[in-house]
Amino acid sequence: MSAEHTERDVILSVRHVDITFSTGRKKKLTAVKDANFDIYRGETFALVGESGSGKTTLGRAIMRINPCSAGEILFEGKRISGKISREEDRNVIRNIQMIFQDPAASLNERATIEYCVSEGLYNFHLYQDEKDRIAKVDKALQDVGLLPEHKSRYPHEFSGGQRQRVGIARAMIMNPKFIVADEPISALDVSIRAQVLNLMNKLKAERDLTYLFIAHDLSVVRFIADRIAVIHLGEIVEIAESETLFKYPVHPYTVSLLSTVPMPDPVVERTRKHIVYDPSVLDQSGAPRSMRELRPGHFILATDAELEGYEKRIEALEAIRAKKDSQEELK
Amino acid sequence: MDIRKTKIQDVNLFEFADFDELKSEHIAAPRYSYWKSVWRTFFRNKFTVAVAVLLLLIIGFALIQPMYSGYSPIDTPNINTPEMKFQQPSAQHIFGTDHVGNEVFDAVWAGARNSIIISFVCTALNMLIGIPIGALWGFSKKMDRWMIEVYNIISNIPFLLLAMILSYVLGAGMQSLIITMTCTEWIFVAYFIRTQVMIIRDREYNMASKCLGTRTWTMIIKNILPYLISVIMTYVSRQIPSLISYEVFLSYMGLGLGTTNASLGRTISLYTSYMTGYPHLFWIPVGVLALISISLYIVGQKLADAADPRTHV
Amino acid sequence: MDVTRKVILSAKDVEVKFRVRGNYLTAIRGVSLDLYEGETFAIVGESGSGKSVFTKTFTGMLETNGTISGGSVMFHDKDLTKLKKDKDWEGIRGAKISTIFQDPMTSLNPIRTIGSQITEVIEKHQGISKAEAKQQAIDMMERVGIPNAADRFNEYPFQYSGGMRQRIVIAIALSCHPEILICDEPTTALDVTIQAQIITLIRDLQKELKFTTLYITHDLGVVANVADRVGVMYGGQIVEYGTVEEIFFDPRHPYTWALLSSLPQLGVKGEDLYYITGTPPSLYNKIQGDAFAPRNEHALKIDFEEEPPFFKVTDTHYAKTWLMDPRAPKLEKPEVIRDLHEKIRKMTDEGGAFHVG
Repeated sequence: MSAEHTERDVILSVRHVDITFSTGRKKKLTAVKDANFDIYRGETFALVGESGSGKTTLGRAIMRINPCSAGEILFEGKRISGKISREEDRNVIRNIQMIFQDPAASLNERATIEYCVSEGLYNFHLYQDEKDRIAKVDKALQDVGLLPEHKSRYPHEFSGGQRQRVGIARAMIMNPKFIVADEPISALDVSIRAQVLNLMNKLKAERDLTYLFIAHDLSVVRFIADRIAVIHLGEIVEIAESETLFKYPVHPYTVSLLSTVPMPDPVVERTRKHIVYDPSVLDQSGAPRSMRELRPGHFILATDAELEGYEKRIEALEAIRAKKDSQEELK
Repeated sequence: MDIRKTKIQDVNLFEFADFDELKSEHIAAPRYSYWKSVWRTFFRNKFTVAVAVLLLLIIGFALIQPMYSGYSPIDTPNINTPEMKFQQPSAQHIFGTDHVGNEVFDAVWAGARNSIIISFVCTALNMLIGIPIGALWGFSKKMDRWMIEVYNIISNIPFLLLAMILSYVLGAGMQSLIITMTCTEWIFVAYFIRTQVMIIRDREYNMASKCLGTRTWTMIIKNILPYLISVIMTYVSRQIPSLISYEVFLSYMGLGLGTTNASLGRTISLYTSYMTGYPHLFWIPVGVLALISISLYIVGQKLADAADPRTHV
Repeated sequence: MDVTRKVILSAKDVEVKFRVRGNYLTAIRGVSLDLYEGETFAIVGESGSGKSVFTKTFTGMLETNGTISGGSVMFHDKDLTKLKKDKDWEGIRGAKISTIFQDPMTSLNPIRTIGSQITEVIEKHQGISKAEAKQQAIDMMERVGIPNAADRFNEYPFQYSGGMRQRIVIAIALSCHPEILICDEPTTALDVTIQAQIITLIRDLQKELKFTTLYITHDLGVVANVADRVGVMYGGQIVEYGTVEEIFFDPRHPYTWALLSSLPQLGVKGEDLYYITGTPPSLYNKIQGDAFAPRNEHALKIDFEEEPPFFKVTDTHYAKTWLMDPRAPKLEKPEVIRDLHEKIRKMTDEGGAFHVG
């Protein structure tokens, strides 16, 4: 997108992707509109939005479950959306894996953990003999903190956190390069979320993975993501480095979303004001919107008129920030 | 609460305990096995077990007894012995005798044997053809488009008309009856399976398999069919009795087994004429038919219930 | 906390058992709770901690295989545990004590209009005419923030968005002016921005209508926002309770420590989050000693032997852990949650969202 970033190694590009679903005769629902971003090798890129924002649809388009109706998706420079050869399809599957939201729904309840984890190995025959396969499954289970004795168990015998780790193990056994994690912790109990997040970070570091982390919860994203894209009603409204987005949120929707992050502090919470997103503050002239680069690496969806306002806002934020920093220094 | 009241006076207990992280991953519950749980659930109900035993006895008897009696409807050794005709049931003639002096007992069991064999063979064939086709049909949107047309056409052919045509073309007999009862029936099985597959096809675990590159057939065998065991059992438990009634009905109409084969349908049809004078001739074969159908249905339903993992807790 | 405040509901040693395939499983193991008039009490716990089951005893809505096997719930000189038939509950459930559930669709009838569902409740409990009830219903709909309430009166639940449906459920729950409103994870099924709106709505209505709120949630962020007092529930018991400040700034039970420490909000990028190993206790296993002991890295030997009593921290703050026993080794709470307020202040200061108005 920007010249400054071209030297970074892009692993996945989403190029002007539209995804539409037909809902009855001639009616069409646009789930994703003109999504356009790059994901760099080794980073955790978060896609944040509410339900119905199109974030899951976009994640599934990368997994080749949902077709794109316009634009294309490139993985390591090769197009993976639309019709591709069988060989390329197999290649994409081996390199891009998914972690699902609901571990109870995404595991085959009638298969043992051994089969669930081996499924990818069977499909690509990624083992020499039975002994090798068992060894690989044991290793994959151990990597996610489970025990080899769990192989003969069925998913329903496990707790939610354990099942999610089985889901991670079966994706990791393929040795993928890229992981689409679709709300991987939102269906889990609060006490086990941290464990799964740590595990994902650990695996990423060990295996040089790149994550697309889909979430609705900004508090989680702040902890795990390097860059964040905020998506609202099918349109990506703001992309920035995670720190930048939290320090200098510009789009009114991002601001509203940030104001809803609950803080575990009653004193702070009492003084907090939730900012309700009001789309009427946007430019109503009907001028075309596009992604503009407000600061290096900080993109925002705006019309020309809006861009001026956003520029003022970020300047104001930067001024406050500078004042704060100088105060700190004085101290 | 007062601390002194607690029994614990041992100060040593107020030390940190050892903590093993992996220990908490251990699952204490006994191992789960699907089929073991199915049988355990099935055998837990005494009534079900009683019906299952009764059913096995009836089927076993129907398969074995005719071998010893050697009954054949065209073999009428007592036709010229009037005192052997229309005997009431007694110790000597358990179900009595009929209008040609044959044992009703032999006629009923020989008929039951054929009815059971035909219904089992037809059900097996229907399932063997219907399930794989239905599974593919449910998976492939392309196939669905034309299969649904085929289904509409076949399901609109009147069954009786088809049975008549086939019985004229193929002649009477067991083979032609089996063909009659499978050549269209499988599509209903397939349609049923298709609908079931469509219900679970898009569940997340199937999407997960797709993301792992699992082929359609592997998915059908590993992901779909295991979930359908229970509904397939329910279907079979209704299909077998209903095919028995079909056989009876067709043979009653003269479209089923020929005059040379024993058949419950033919037997009932023949004996109907003597219903007013000798009601046992009619009611005994009808009773046996009902007993077989009902016990098959009950056992099938209970087995289907037991095959549903929700009952396994 | 003002000690002279009136207790509106008082639960004492409540025990609830469920019959599952011939076995009796104890879901609630002796929970006591005094609810003060006008306060907001939040019960925090994971799924399976028994938080929902406990509050269902206040409205007699336990599943049919569940029974209250001990204790009492006093409300206006009436022991609610003694009420058996639906008739006994008339005038209490839905009238004096109302509940809002997680999924608004479970409380709404999909084939009846929104308006008729609200008016039905008003007519039933207040015995007023249809026209009056309709007017009240529209008022209530406006109060919970339904735009064009009169026009939307005759619409069906499916024509409403999730957030709007939850508003309707709140309108129904409040239409009889209850004294206690139980909110059972009222926002879990909703989007984050809608969540904040619903929470604010409940708080504003509470100020206006002066009812007592009992929140049930697993989300400590929500608790910090809404609660005056907090009870932390684990394994069918309340293990620590106190004012919201006490629970967040001076927690004493290792489970409360663990819950707070594992919040991703407190995570530092590039470092591991604190996490709790293992899984919540299963009701199928008999709990001996402290239910949290097997997952507690600070567990004492005695935790596996004997159930701890409640130890007093302050007049309003109690914790059920042997760590408070004078004989126990001194242990400070984990590093991440020390100076919690300072840390959060700094963090929110950084967040641009807090400067922009």
